[in-house]
Amino acid sequence: MTTVLPYVNFFQTKKGIFSWIFSVDHKRIALLYLYSILIFFLAGATLGVLMRLELLNPGKDIMEAQTYNQVFTMHGVIMIFLFIIPSIPAVFGNFFLPILLGTDDVAFPRLNLLSWWIYIIGALMALSTLLFGDGPADTGWTFYAPYSVKTGTNVTMSVLAAFVIGFSSILTGLNFIVTIHRLRTPGMNFLRMPLFVWSLYATSWIQLLATPIIGITLLMIVAERVLGVGLFDPSIGGDPILYQHLFWIYSHPAVYIMALPAFGVVSEMLPTFAQRTIFGYKAIAFSSLAIAFVGYFIWGHHMFTAGMSGAARFIFSILTFLVAIPTAIKVFNWVATLYKGSINVQVPLLYVLAFIFQFMIGGFTGLVVGALASDIHLHDTYFVVGHFHYVMFGGTGFAFFGALHYWYPKIWGKMYNKVVANVAFVLLFIGFNTLYFPMLVVGLMGMPRRYYDYLPEFHLPNMISTYGSWILATGILLMVGNLIAGFYRKGPKVGRNPWNGITLEWQTLSPPPLENFDRMPQLPLNGPYDFEHKPEIKE
Amino acid sequence: MENHKENTSHPKVHISSFRDHWSTLATLLLLTAVTVVISVFGANLAALSVATALLIATVKVMVVAYYFMHLKYEKKIYTYLLLLVVLLFLAFTILTAIEYYNR
Amino acid sequence: MEHTTGFVLPNSGHNRDDESSRMGMWLFLFTELLLFGGLFIVYMVYRMLNHEAFLLSSFELNVTMGTVNTVVLLVSSMTVAMSITAVQRGNNALSAKLLAITLGLSLVFLVIKYFEWSAKIHHGLFPGMDLYKALPKGESLFFFLYFIMTGLHALHIIIGAVLMGVTIYRTKKGLINSDNYTLTENTGLYWHLVDLIWIYLFPLFYLIH
Repeated sequence: MTTVLPYVNFFQTKKGIFSWIFSVDHKRIALLYLYSILIFFLAGATLGVLMRLELLNPGKDIMEAQTYNQVFTMHGVIMIFLFIIPSIPAVFGNFFLPILLGTDDVAFPRLNLLSWWIYIIGALMALSTLLFGDGPADTGWTFYAPYSVKTGTNVTMSVLAAFVIGFSSILTGLNFIVTIHRLRTPGMNFLRMPLFVWSLYATSWIQLLATPIIGITLLMIVAERVLGVGLFDPSIGGDPILYQHLFWIYSHPAVYIMALPAFGVVSEMLPTFAQRTIFGYKAIAFSSLAIAFVGYFIWGHHMFTAGMSGAARFIFSILTFLVAIPTAIKVFNWVATLYKGSINVQVPLLYVLAFIFQFMIGGFTGLVVGALASDIHLHDTYFVVGHFHYVMFGGTGFAFFGALHYWYPKIWGKMYNKVVANVAFVLLFIGFNTLYFPMLVVGLMGMPRRYYDYLPEFHLPNMISTYGSWILATGILLMVGNLIAGFYRKGPKVGRNPWNGITLEWQTLSPPPLENFDRMPQLPLNGPYDFEHKPEIKE
Repeated sequence: MENHKENTSHPKVHISSFRDHWSTLATLLLLTAVTVVISVFGANLAALSVATALLIATVKVMVVAYYFMHLKYEKKIYTYLLLLVVLLFLAFTILTAIEYYNR
Repeated sequence: MEHTTGFVLPNSGHNRDDESSRMGMWLFLFTELLLFGGLFIVYMVYRMLNHEAFLLSSFELNVTMGTVNTVVLLVSSMTVAMSITAVQRGNNALSAKLLAITLGLSLVFLVIKYFEWSAKIHHGLFPGMDLYKALPKGESLFFFLYFIMTGLHALHIIIGAVLMGVTIYRTKKGLINSDNYTLTENTGLYWHLVDLIWIYLFPLFYLIH
């Protein structure tokens, strides 16, 4: 087991574009995902900024009502299907799942490459709606029938794109489950797996078992549009609400496809920067499974005002409150992990703290709309928009950025400029809260969502919100720019373990070699975060 | 390219005999005959006919999964996971049925 | 693959692992089950909402043809299971022969299905046709679902038949043998799934009068 120095890392093994887009190496595929996802994120964010610009003043500012409908639909489709669902699992899951398990690749490397290709094909299909006919769909990303059947915009293509991307998601999930079952390093049983692996495991099961339902539902919309015959049409005995049921049977669990991996990376970063074991390892691990499980049965809370039966509304509301329990368990354990830790305040930890703060706001506002009585007032207002942006962007988005800063030195073997990274973080944090907190307020005041216009009394909060979008956009640009500049920085290479972490990725070289490890990875004595018996890591 | 190690995942494989397969098929055909006969001649059973038809179908599915799909001889986890999937689907249907039954 | 550091892990993802392949197939079948599951939920709800219409329309379907197709699929399920037994015992020729019979049966199924469909389409019962549009409330939903569900099922039969063809080819080439028959097993699993779905489709459309 001798290391030949200087070693060849996975960037250097082969050169040229084809060695990337046809690579079966999980690390290269992860980076393919990262670059494509970041491009879509920037595109979606641009649309978001444009929407905020339109809402700066009452009345028409920069776009027509119909354009606005198409912009918010495109923003939703890009952010949900192209950014946030694949974000953490496809990028950091692909890169670090095998390394955290102490293996050299996922169980089906070629299937992994296929998943990326399917994702790209789906993405191109979604973007192609810009180019022909009446332009992109104007239905909102939910494609509710019957409007999605009646509208002249390119709904069929958007829906097919979502169907195709769903396949990519299913195959990634399948691949991860088999990898976790079959490829753990000798000695690593399920209770010695890092918590990110646990959260990916739970996520993968949702991807596998919920995605097909939306696949078939979207195909029904396509069939309806192509054949020109109603399937959700009440005049022939159908029911448009049934479409919403099927849609949310997938799309509510999908919220946990977005959130659980974020919980996972947060659970990785906290022990590293507190330099102590995670508090309540088993509680965090099993609560991931509990969230995944309960998450399947609460889809009805998206439809409280749609005309569901009283009994169903009652049941769905109670089940919704149940999911708060495992979520709260996680938050308490994270906070408890910081207690009496020797805290090392680095950029990734700042993102984690922002995550906890913003996710809590998102979670609590979730309870408000999960309760039947208050939801009647708040449904379809900006309160809901604020709520899910706090969960999805303030939660998962910030966890994604945090993970990017956390694993950056491992992936590229260099360190970004920490001062600039701190400034970018502050801009992001201030910008985010300035953008979305007014939405909660203006929603409580009664401003409905999905209009390009509003009454004059909502002017002030909307103005503040738009100013926030500018701060946030500056922060994002600074952060991305700083990370890109990091590639070209002169300066010392980081070693194997710049953060003094304990999980297996820190035992290998930065960037890792093609086979991931240059020597057999060593497990800590008692569980994955046992800092008291940390294996010595030689450079 | 890939390093093909000796395959170790078939430590002791159960090989079903042709005779087993024939008897499984006989069982399935018998159940099919029963369900068709009930449907064609027992129309006055009304609501019961739905329940019996689904029940017989479920028995048939279990026979196929257990013997033809080799679930009986696989690791137990496959059975549990399959049950989990079935329960999940049942939960979807029950929740949806509650909603439509109470409309 | 170049070994850049000269170190290879024992639990490599590039090793052959039959258990992984089989587990992957089972997980894929779970996905497929829920794909059809979505349609079964639609069927259930629309049946609840249009009880009488569904009863009346189901008389339109030909029970004899449905029963024959059920028998065809059950027999094909047995032959594919037998082909696994044959390959496990080292009898590749027999295994290929049994797979060929299965492939033949899948074509029989498709031909019968073709006659059923064309009879319906001839009457104008396909969604969008004249008679379809004149159907009373609820009955059109029955036929829409009939065409979607049996159509999707037939698509799976076709995929299964292609898979069967590949397996026969590889068996004859000697690439599949008593040490390495995961493809035969996975083809079998997929084929049984097609059978399982039909076991439910058959009573729900043809028998529940």
